[in-house]
Amino acid sequence: MLEIRFHGRGGQGAVVASELLAQAAFLDGKMPQSFPFFGVERRGAPVTAFARIDDRPIRVRTSVTEPDVVVVLDPGLLATTPVSEGLRPGGLLLVNTRTAAEALAGPVGIRRATVDATRIALARGLGTSMMPIVNTAVLGALSRASGAVSPEALDRAIAAFVPARPDANRDAARDGYLQVRAAPAREGPSAAPAHPRPPPVPIPEGPIAFLSSESTPTAAWRTFTPVIHRERCTRCNFCWKFCPDDAIELGADGFPRLRAAFCKGCGICAAECPPKTIEMVAEA
Amino acid sequence: MARKVLSGNSAQAYAARLARVQVVSAYPITPQTSIVEKIADFVASGELPAQYVKVESEHSALQVCLSASALGARTYTATSSQGLLLMHELLHWASGMRAPIVMGVVNRAVAPPWNIGADHTDTISQRDTGWLQFYAESNQEVLDTVLEAFRLAEDPAVRLPVMVAEDAFYLSHTVEPVDVPDPAQVDRFLPPREPHAVLVPGETARLGSFTGPDRYVDFRRQLARAVREVPRTLAEVEADYARVVGRDLGGPLPTYRADDADAVLLTMGTATTTARGVVDDLRAAGRKVGLAQLRLFRPFPDDTIRQLGVSVDRLGVVDRAYTFGPSGPVATEVGAALYGVSRRPLLTSFLAGIGGRDVTPHEVRRMFDTLLSDEPPSTHWEDLEEEAAVRG
Amino acid sequence: MAKLTIPAEEWMFSGHAACPGCGPALAMRLLLKGLGPRTIVSVPACCWTVIGTPFPTTALRVGVLDNAIEATGASISGLRAAADALGLADVTVVGFAGDGGTADIGLQALSGMLERRTDAIYAMYDNEAYMNTGVQRSGATPWGAWTTTTPVGPAARGKPEPKKDVMGIVLAHRPVYAATLSPSFPEDFDRKVELAKGLRGPRFLHIFAPCPPGWRFDSAETIALGRLATETGVFPLYEVLDGRLRITRKVSTLRPVSDYLAKQGRFQHLTPEEIARIEAQVRTDWERLLAREREDGPAPA
Repeated sequence: MLEIRFHGRGGQGAVVASELLAQAAFLDGKMPQSFPFFGVERRGAPVTAFARIDDRPIRVRTSVTEPDVVVVLDPGLLATTPVSEGLRPGGLLLVNTRTAAEALAGPVGIRRATVDATRIALARGLGTSMMPIVNTAVLGALSRASGAVSPEALDRAIAAFVPARPDANRDAARDGYLQVRAAPAREGPSAAPAHPRPPPVPIPEGPIAFLSSESTPTAAWRTFTPVIHRERCTRCNFCWKFCPDDAIELGADGFPRLRAAFCKGCGICAAECPPKTIEMVAEA
Repeated sequence: MARKVLSGNSAQAYAARLARVQVVSAYPITPQTSIVEKIADFVASGELPAQYVKVESEHSALQVCLSASALGARTYTATSSQGLLLMHELLHWASGMRAPIVMGVVNRAVAPPWNIGADHTDTISQRDTGWLQFYAESNQEVLDTVLEAFRLAEDPAVRLPVMVAEDAFYLSHTVEPVDVPDPAQVDRFLPPREPHAVLVPGETARLGSFTGPDRYVDFRRQLARAVREVPRTLAEVEADYARVVGRDLGGPLPTYRADDADAVLLTMGTATTTARGVVDDLRAAGRKVGLAQLRLFRPFPDDTIRQLGVSVDRLGVVDRAYTFGPSGPVATEVGAALYGVSRRPLLTSFLAGIGGRDVTPHEVRRMFDTLLSDEPPSTHWEDLEEEAAVRG
Repeated sequence: MAKLTIPAEEWMFSGHAACPGCGPALAMRLLLKGLGPRTIVSVPACCWTVIGTPFPTTALRVGVLDNAIEATGASISGLRAAADALGLADVTVVGFAGDGGTADIGLQALSGMLERRTDAIYAMYDNEAYMNTGVQRSGATPWGAWTTTTPVGPAARGKPEPKKDVMGIVLAHRPVYAATLSPSFPEDFDRKVELAKGLRGPRFLHIFAPCPPGWRFDSAETIALGRLATETGVFPLYEVLDGRLRITRKVSTLRPVSDYLAKQGRFQHLTPEEIARIEAQVRTDWERLLAREREDGPAPA
């Protein structure tokens, strides 16, 4: 049995990718299973989905905690989410990023692969520059890097189950298949996990929460970051006034400053800035 | 202490007044109405300085109590039958929020067909909502239990809502002498509520949070632990009540002449009183029969039931409700409690008094006869049996 | 440096879990600016159940009480009763509910709260569908709009029924104050909130709350879309104080409603005839509003 875990952000299509993978595996004659982790799926928020593929009916209904393959649809998640947690030795970490596979800081003993699915999606006109829909390009890359499904089955699954723009999605999958780059596992002693588990939360008697949500930054949600050019800023404070995340603060000098930990990159500040002095810049 | 002739519904209202409830909310339903009318009189006369929120449904009545409780107020409501069923979703909210609401419930049959007679189906069907449930035999017990309910609900070890149930008409509209304690006595027994898990204006907190699979189970576990604390806390509360007010209600399952009995009948609510009389008559005739009164249905007093079970050969359980299983609901629970006890009695489930039928002395006598027969049945629709017997 | 036109203090935390460009998040931020720290907010099942962040965190500095989706009106009656019983007269009680939790399943409790003259504010943030569950139609979804339960296909053209007139229902209860608010007009928003805060009795705020994922528009356009809604007459800004209606954002000439519809994916399927039908309804409603304002006359000095 092959177990796969998808990490993406709401709106990128991680859940659909997992389902499409299952459809393709079925067309390959396998017995697939796919399901999303049903939590707080908000556009831009981290989401998880799971898939299993086997020759026989699958006899387990749990989250995938020890995956053979981890697929990361958004490189920003590498810094905020323990994506490679539980990856089996010899497993595969596939990331949508411009970074070369050799440069990917995967855990020791894990094969690495990268694909610039964002560029492919934008070139194929899938999604917007704010939220490119990268799932089909990533699936193409996954097909080649892991052999989880055949490219032919993926083609057919996209044609049958992608309601919007199936042709562009099929082309994106083919691009992903051709452009994925693999690198062998890093060697050396395995380091401590980069994301230690947070200490357990004390449970009060009764369901009452006291901690501020500012203990949970949302920077990882954004694809674009506002850059405020002070030279043209008139200190009108529109950017502050209209921010749904209160992610702009006004300094004592009246100039706005970004509270980068909480900006989700919605772009309202840039759109509402009268002198157009805020620029939305793609995250690295 | 003043002795008054009161209905069960008045006893509920007097108890709420003595408990100095701060917020009352209710919606009228027969046969609960005289509770909410009496409380309206107390508020109008200034005898009860409470906020009385008259709402457009039972559902809203419970939400008003729930939200008022979330700010720290002592709250009371009352309902019956369909009204209780309408509250169902919010019953879970109340226990989950650890809101120490006390609710009077007049046990009435559930439609269809429409019926306003005594029947325990309304409260029994709420058994899994996390509320404690008491059933009273007399108007005195109604008043005493409501006062104890507030202490129990607000106890730091418990912090759960409580229903105090009384049979429609047999208590709600029956007047009989009731000793009403002095306010000063009650104040010694029941101090003002010490708020816990409540919102404080100006302070950051969210009560009732969205909680994922990682922590939700912790809160369910807390509920389970709180419920398990009830028997011990109830014993403390009753000892205190006996000391301050002078009446001992006898715990979750008081027994009557059951010590050496060959057969014991277990009753809940007003059938108890009639059965008490029959036990006296049968004892006078030399038959060794006894009685056990189930006051506390939730949490179910398994330990106490087991103690009773090992001491008797024949146990009959009288249910004023039917559950869609093999027997009456209380009988089912008694059977479950006795499972695993090596020496357990023969158990018969009697369905009697459904939808407001009288449970007559004649009927109770025949239940004892059935119990002591060669082969007592497992389930017996006593109401229909009685009809056939009377018609001849 | 420009003077601040709305209060500087923040009573909503960052780090909340709203989608980027969320109208309801900005609505909450602006509402609390006007209400201040002595506020308790009752929140039913709605987007804010999740936006408010899961245990153990909370996204508001003030107290939040979760309540069942249909019970917000009763919840604020209970909070008010307790506040009065406990000597907390200075506390502002506010219910913050979505359009589904208000116009559909919560309508009875809202009516009850208004009728019993509860001294509290009921705020309905209107994103015109059940968004927390993934864009299903509500009574407040406008005519013709696509939702996941009013899809567009050969046999269907989006929602076939018009939007429920919640303000009309509320006004029939003669509240002390009722107003429409839009986060695109923060000064008007804040003035109404502070005015409502100073009044006693039942008060109702209908807040326009654009939803980028549900309405299918770019998250940067939330404010612009709100402005268009008011400038086209789709969501006029007005208030009713002591029964007297006043339009607070005058629009001399309404812009064509297509300016508003064209920006949203949920209206992309509409034909020119269907758009004309919407336009005609918007203009009729606007004329009625103007007539009511004229009829009511200016407030007595």
